[in-house]
Amino acid sequence: MQYPMSNMGDQPGAVAAEHHAVADKSDKPTRTLWGDAFKRLRKNKLAMFAVVWLLVTILVAVTADLWVPQVLGDPTASDTATMAANSRLAPSLEHPFGTDTLGRDVLSRVIYGARISLTVGIVATGISTIIGLVMGAIAAYYGGIWDTIIMRLADTFLAFPYTLFVIAMIAVIGNGIQNVFFAIGILGWPQIARVFRSAILSVKESDYIDAARAMGASDARIIARHIFPNSVASIVVYATMNIGGAILTESALSFLGMGVIPPDPSWGTLIQEGQKFLQTEPWLMILPGLAILTTVLAFTLLGDGLRDALDVKMKDA
Amino acid sequence: MLRYILKRILQFIPVFLGVTLILFIMQNVVPGDPIKLIAGEKKMDPQTEMNIRAAHGLIVTDENGNIVFDEDGNTIATPMVDRYFNYLGNLLQGDLGTSYQKGRAVRDMIFEAYPHTVQIALVAIVIETFVGVGAGIISAIKRYSFWDILVTLTTSMLVAMPAFWLGLLLQLIFGIWLKDATGGAVALPVSGVPGPFPQFPAWSYYILPAVTLAAVSTAYTARIMRSQLVEVMNQDYIRTAKAKGLSKRSIIFHHALKNALIPVVTYIGMDFGGMLAGAILTETVFNWPGIGQMTYVAITQRDWPIVMGSVTVIVFVVMIINLIVDVSYAFLDPRIRLGNKSEK
Repeated sequence: MQYPMSNMGDQPGAVAAEHHAVADKSDKPTRTLWGDAFKRLRKNKLAMFAVVWLLVTILVAVTADLWVPQVLGDPTASDTATMAANSRLAPSLEHPFGTDTLGRDVLSRVIYGARISLTVGIVATGISTIIGLVMGAIAAYYGGIWDTIIMRLADTFLAFPYTLFVIAMIAVIGNGIQNVFFAIGILGWPQIARVFRSAILSVKESDYIDAARAMGASDARIIARHIFPNSVASIVVYATMNIGGAILTESALSFLGMGVIPPDPSWGTLIQEGQKFLQTEPWLMILPGLAILTTVLAFTLLGDGLRDALDVKMKDA
Repeated sequence: MLRYILKRILQFIPVFLGVTLILFIMQNVVPGDPIKLIAGEKKMDPQTEMNIRAAHGLIVTDENGNIVFDEDGNTIATPMVDRYFNYLGNLLQGDLGTSYQKGRAVRDMIFEAYPHTVQIALVAIVIETFVGVGAGIISAIKRYSFWDILVTLTTSMLVAMPAFWLGLLLQLIFGIWLKDATGGAVALPVSGVPGPFPQFPAWSYYILPAVTLAAVSTAYTARIMRSQLVEVMNQDYIRTAKAKGLSKRSIIFHHALKNALIPVVTYIGMDFGGMLAGAILTETVFNWPGIGQMTYVAITQRDWPIVMGSVTVIVFVVMIINLIVDVSYAFLDPRIRLGNKSEK
């Protein structure tokens, strides 16, 4: 007997796996799109690793107030009395990532930095997704002049050199975390708008949409209840990958000193502070970078996994 | 084909006006008076300040260049709409304005900075093409091998790391650790351009910035190359070639690669456009005096003529490159016809 779905053919547990496959078959038809996708995602080791890593990161970041200041030390305030003695200590048991110039524990700052990075990633992506959905829906559903205006506006946003645009935006509205949300969020909508627009266009002429309209459904209801569920899979995939991009942008802004306002710790700020001590204390620059790398990588792997699990066709990126 | 190109050029116009208009509105709502910033902490002589404003067209002057005052003896700010049209008018004559801070023509400053950006972009594109395409081919023909996994892992990591951090890591490894390990005999320069210090050969200054600039794109190139080659290798005409008894090498290099390379070439072309837009972070980390760093510094100093000028040039260059890429696409792949059938 051959089961194409079994990909562990030459492992010792192959026979057992085949039995499982038989058992799985009986309850297969009852699955929904999301149920099936979740099953496939669970088999993807890299994606599951990413999920675990992200859950741990989120858990640590959310519970930070409860234990980090006691165990590791305050992330922002520095004790002037002991500052000189604690300045830039090498990693040790007491300070696993060492301390910075002001004697603050770097691991504590990295953990509080995770709060900022994750919040920026999620909120900024949320903003771009909402703007993108509305713009995409208007462009596709109403077509004509609306389509032209919105898509030309999207072209304009995409023609701008991205980093330069974000920096110019921050120069206009000032730095600080809310403005970083806003700047990254408002510049990210064109991609989502394009995805949603083409998704709507592909189903707009379907019979079931006509049927819904014949039954008296409003435009808003048709978009929200009949069209949106059809394209939600691709939007989820895009949004997941977008979070990683937003985290990278935030770190770049903070690195240039245009992101969060010190003493708040952002991973980009930590790298910028560590840069000065590249020669003597390189870990001050290396460790926050690893935090960015692992988190963004986890979002990318999760996005890849979701794309495969939900069977979304990506045109580019 | 000609009609397609003309149509594309016409489509440039609204996008170009949109970009410059958005930027123009931004500079008018930004807090801080750029003219006051010129003097820094010091107080500027009111007459000098007025003359500077007049010279930059920020206050109304008559035909002879004399400053116009209202009934109360105050200067009149030029309306934003007039200034935008002045900018467009000057642009048509090749005049990009004068820097507030440096008092130099923006056009000359761009002519000085841009070659640095172009040079590093060219080196980066060479790295991207050879390393990216090579790694992609190896990973596709030796699928699921050690090398394939290595390429996949490396590319995933390169895409997930901030470019400025990679730049700092390279400085640490090749500028500091390598130097220490070899007792100062071997090291790479970590910043600046080939200049008056002859301890490093001129070409060595390009290595680290170009590698940093190329990193993410090389990763994407390798991924696209791999997936394209894998897809092409599954097609019928490759099976025919195999059935004919051709060697694997001949199939890959004479049949598969030509088709698989088309999307890769497009990506690299578009990416070159992106690199010519200037890499603010890479140029900042390596203190590379290109257009990205110049624009970034200008934004922090509210030196709007430089920002407007360089964004104008950048957007223009990127659009031209993208057009060339799209047109060359049609030459590379005869199946693609741009525009309507009747145009052929």
